[in-house]
Amino acid sequence: MTRSTILTIEHISKAFFGVPAVRDVSIDVKEGEILGLIGQNGAGKSTLMNLVGGVVHPDAGSMTFRGKPYAPRRPADANDAGIGFIHQELNLFTNMTIAENVFISGFPRTGFGPFKFIDRAAMKARTRELLDQVGLDTPPDFQIERMSPGERQLVEIAKALYMDASLIIFDEPTTSLTARETEQLFNIMLRLREQGKSMIYISHILNDVLRLADSIAVMRDGQLVTQEARDAFDTRRMISLMVGRSIEQLYPTRTSAPTTTPLLELKGISAAGIVEKVNLTVHRGELVGLFGLMGSGRTELARMIFGLDRTEQGEIRVAGEALKGSSARDSIRSKIAFVTENRREEGLLMNIAIADNVTLVALPEFARTALQILDAGAMREAAREASQALQLKAADISVQPAKSLSGGNQQKVVIAKWLLSQPEVFIMDEPTRGIDVGAKYEIYAIMDRLAAAGSGVLFISSELEELMGTCDRILVMSQGEIVAQFAREAFSDEAILRAAFREHAPLHPHSGETEQSS
Amino acid sequence: MFKNLRKLSVGAGAAALLTISGAAGVAAQSDITICFGFQDLETEFWVAGHRAITETLRGQGIEVLEYNANEDPNRQLEQIRECIAQGVDGIIIIPQDGDSANTIVAEAQSNDVPIAVFNRPPNDRSAGLIAVADNVSATEQAVEFIAQKALRQYEITGEPITPLILVGALQDTNAIGRRDGFFNVINRYNERYPGLFNAPIEVATEWDAATALANLEAAITANPNVDFIFTSSDFLFPTIRSVLEPRGMWQPAGTPGHVLLAGLDGDATACMLIDQGYVDATGVQDLYLEAEMTMTSLLDAIEAGETAPNEVLLDPGFALTAGNIYFDRSDMWGCVLYDDGFLDQ
Amino acid sequence: MARTRHDPVSTTIQRDERPGAAEDPSGPLLKSISPKRRDQRTPSQAVGAFFRRALLSENFILYLTIIFFVVASIFFTTLSAPRNITNQLLNMWPLLAIAIGQTFVLILGGIDLSQGATMAITSTIGGLVMSTALDASTYDKSPLWGTLISESGGILGQDPNGWAVAVVVMLLLGLLIGWLNGTMITRFNLAPFMVTLVSSTIFAAFALWLTQSRNVANLPEPFLLLGNGDIISIFLGPKLNPDIARRDVLPLITYPALISLGLAVLAHFLLTRTSFGRQMYSVGTNRRASTISGVPSQRVIIMVYMFSGFCAAVASILYSARLGIGQPSLGSGNILLDVIGAAVIGGTSLFGGKGTVKGTLFGVAFFVLLLNILNAMQLSPFIIDAVKGGIILIAALLDITRTRILNRGA
Repeated sequence: MTRSTILTIEHISKAFFGVPAVRDVSIDVKEGEILGLIGQNGAGKSTLMNLVGGVVHPDAGSMTFRGKPYAPRRPADANDAGIGFIHQELNLFTNMTIAENVFISGFPRTGFGPFKFIDRAAMKARTRELLDQVGLDTPPDFQIERMSPGERQLVEIAKALYMDASLIIFDEPTTSLTARETEQLFNIMLRLREQGKSMIYISHILNDVLRLADSIAVMRDGQLVTQEARDAFDTRRMISLMVGRSIEQLYPTRTSAPTTTPLLELKGISAAGIVEKVNLTVHRGELVGLFGLMGSGRTELARMIFGLDRTEQGEIRVAGEALKGSSARDSIRSKIAFVTENRREEGLLMNIAIADNVTLVALPEFARTALQILDAGAMREAAREASQALQLKAADISVQPAKSLSGGNQQKVVIAKWLLSQPEVFIMDEPTRGIDVGAKYEIYAIMDRLAAAGSGVLFISSELEELMGTCDRILVMSQGEIVAQFAREAFSDEAILRAAFREHAPLHPHSGETEQSS
Repeated sequence: MFKNLRKLSVGAGAAALLTISGAAGVAAQSDITICFGFQDLETEFWVAGHRAITETLRGQGIEVLEYNANEDPNRQLEQIRECIAQGVDGIIIIPQDGDSANTIVAEAQSNDVPIAVFNRPPNDRSAGLIAVADNVSATEQAVEFIAQKALRQYEITGEPITPLILVGALQDTNAIGRRDGFFNVINRYNERYPGLFNAPIEVATEWDAATALANLEAAITANPNVDFIFTSSDFLFPTIRSVLEPRGMWQPAGTPGHVLLAGLDGDATACMLIDQGYVDATGVQDLYLEAEMTMTSLLDAIEAGETAPNEVLLDPGFALTAGNIYFDRSDMWGCVLYDDGFLDQ
Repeated sequence: MARTRHDPVSTTIQRDERPGAAEDPSGPLLKSISPKRRDQRTPSQAVGAFFRRALLSENFILYLTIIFFVVASIFFTTLSAPRNITNQLLNMWPLLAIAIGQTFVLILGGIDLSQGATMAITSTIGGLVMSTALDASTYDKSPLWGTLISESGGILGQDPNGWAVAVVVMLLLGLLIGWLNGTMITRFNLAPFMVTLVSSTIFAAFALWLTQSRNVANLPEPFLLLGNGDIISIFLGPKLNPDIARRDVLPLITYPALISLGLAVLAHFLLTRTSFGRQMYSVGTNRRASTISGVPSQRVIIMVYMFSGFCAAVASILYSARLGIGQPSLGSGNILLDVIGAAVIGGTSLFGGKGTVKGTLFGVAFFVLLLNILNAMQLSPFIIDAVKGGIILIAALLDITRTRILNRGA
């Protein structure tokens, strides 16, 4: 309680195109504390952090950092003041070494007279020290592109430490980390706190926030709902504060039962070193979960079903007919839809209007005459209907680019564009990754509606609890093979994880810590 | 014979000067604007031509609009149209090629603007004022000069002379004219003095220094007794030197082993080599005469109100030799550049 | 320590009043439009916003061209002379044709450096086959001598409609080169820059080899009309004399104008009204996402390069007809810099996904006007090129600024 305040944000506001993103928010960060910042996507967390980082400028309000008025004009101002950022998408130059990235803002020089050259030895030595602090034993001249996402995250922290940051902001740092890497990151954060560093930790994984934070701030609709000490929170309260109502359940109840008519059938699908004799059936009206750890071959299998990658052996049938050809177009004609795990690079045209994204897959259906003239009216109407059906929240779908939407709404655009081609098989690869609780619920509800309408859904996820909460059946994939399947009655997180790890591998503590729900 | 021709061209020059002074009077009265479109200034020859025209015209108080088409005939056409739109009184062009020149001349004449073509003639010479060098005549004068020297040498030693010609790319009319001029002289001398010349050796160059080097090396190796060389263009003198020098054949005139050397064009290098005695003669286009003839005829036509004057203005050229270089060097564009320090740049 | 700033219940109510920003699945959708916020901007912010809007506007360059023209006309009276205007329009048409093709390729995020060489090869082959007479001493070294060409001209030279066939041959040739480019780019995943640079070198050399670097003359009369012929001409001024001088007759509607504008209308239609246009923008924005969405990316890319080759062939027809020769050196200068400059000035992004035919039309107009003004100023030819280069650089910087504003805006 005697700790002094390092960053004070007072009555800060920011609007984009007249739409308020942050309204009259005041938050304090104390010396040596971790502040957990939570809220749904679109609640204003990112905008608030961009204001702190000097990426955007406030319309009203002020900030004080280390006792001095703080009004960054550029991101570099934030760095100079001692605020470090660890972003969701890392800002490292992958073709350079660790040391070069750490020293990117200015290489140490040595030499005599006018002859200066980069002092590589000093650079390496200093980088070594920094890497030791973050517990990374990789050599300083290692190339970033050869490192895992988790290791890269640690390099980012080393960079922030080099900048002598006294406040480090982590924006969804664990999204692409393995459980082990996440654990390592947390240990380092706790160690940094002991050294007196302050941190802001933004995450959708509420258990992580509870575990790390000293105090927690909740945002909703651009406003601060509350900022209180960690002990005042549990997951349920956090969710209800974020959503603005109390949440009875995290998963919608299934409204229909699967049929026994096979819809998607995989028979002996193999590709050397990737997948091995995979047999799999999704029935009409069935929601099948495919669980596997990273590298188990689940995404690769999905890409093969959709015709993006080649199979060497085996057969894929949709509604009894063998899949002809091996391109995305052929699969679309065979009524398959594929929601990829990588929304930004493979799912959406980020700079293009929402409506144009929605009509992209079904474009040939709007083309009339030999000249392929588009029926603009029909397209507008179809895009409007689809976005209404999915309760997409956007001001004007015909002009607003996809990137202006929150993660959850972006995912709805991806689903909407597939809906227009009226597919029967939906392959959804990590459809809820990086989106908030409320939007996740909506995605689950959409999957349920699809199944109820007679489609088959193959739901790929590495979050076991959401599969258990939503699916009729779960298949477990490991090292390219389907190793087990569980009917809904037999769902047990322990058994499923054991299958995924092939029993003898030790269970990782973090992965085992699944929150029981519904 | 060559002296007569030279007199003739001097006479033409004097006449031209007279008319220009007349035209200057017109300029003072009626603000003549001439449009001058050229291709580029990348070789010394064009630098000299450009300078000859613009300086002379401006010296007479005539406004000159300059347009550089950067070797793009389409751009030149656009520029000439622009000139016509601006209402110029006359046009002078150095075209990119003989074909586009026809189109541009037709464009100007159909818009009632008199046009003159400088130095690079259109394929169809019936339209426009066309100043053009007579390759055959200029070549004959240069080759005549070394043939005279060869004859004197033959009278003393009794040894026949072995001539060699570096031929240009034969789809080029210039190259054909120069080759014709060379053979005209050799044949004439052989008729009058049988046994003077052995059969001439022809070396193809395709107007390319590397090709010329390879072919000349081979020819000299096969015929080491070559002692009379004519190059269809002066730009090949450095190539000739690199072949002759290692064989001890690169000697100034008057020294034993001197190979009689003549060329055509009269560039700055040729002027320097004549000064130094290595080269005996070069046939020169009388660039200044051509410029004068072009401007005079064009200004005459403007004064007379002719909108489509058609005439071929033939420049007989002259030979620049060790004998006349002190008197005629100011008429020789290459020497003007050389004396300006062009080669030192 | 705990500071509760808003009671959760009250904010819930507040949210329901302000729909649109909430993530509540059961909540109402955009029923009412959120109340407009009062403009509280300072004057400097307002000026900044004005410039930002102007910069992003499609018509920005049109306004700039008009302002530029009006201001420059005060200083250089020849600029607004009717004759000059019709001249500049004539200069514009062939450039517009190439620029449209390049715009398509740029929208795709590619670049076509082979347009110049395409013009050269189509001009020479078209010229050779339709020529009515060829000089043996010039052409007997051409590899086509005795087969496609002879002393009586090209194989189509003696046919009264041969020129029309030759035009079709030229267009097909343009399409073929585009197809080669597109196929190399998509099949072997090569950089467009590399592929088109290589094909540019090859086809330019091929054109020189076929003609032994000589122009092809004696093109048939009807073909020449395509480059110069007026359909409707006008005469401004009093009719004092029954014979109107040729230089006072202004070509108003010409064949090149119809051809280029026709091409522009077709391109605009393709881009805005057809599924092909939509797919072009999507491939240019994100090829991977487009492919997964079933866009035939490879086919789209190949077709766009074919269109670019087609446009180059159209420009080649206009240039060859205007000059009356098949020209192996056609397009060998820095015409490509002009074309890319005009497209970028017109709002096409070098990063792909952005560009319109209208913008390119304005960009070309701006470029032609700029050149006209620089010429009118009688600057040294060397300075003219430097200024032109500078303007293209500024256009490229504008593109980056625009992209940045757009990215920040969202």
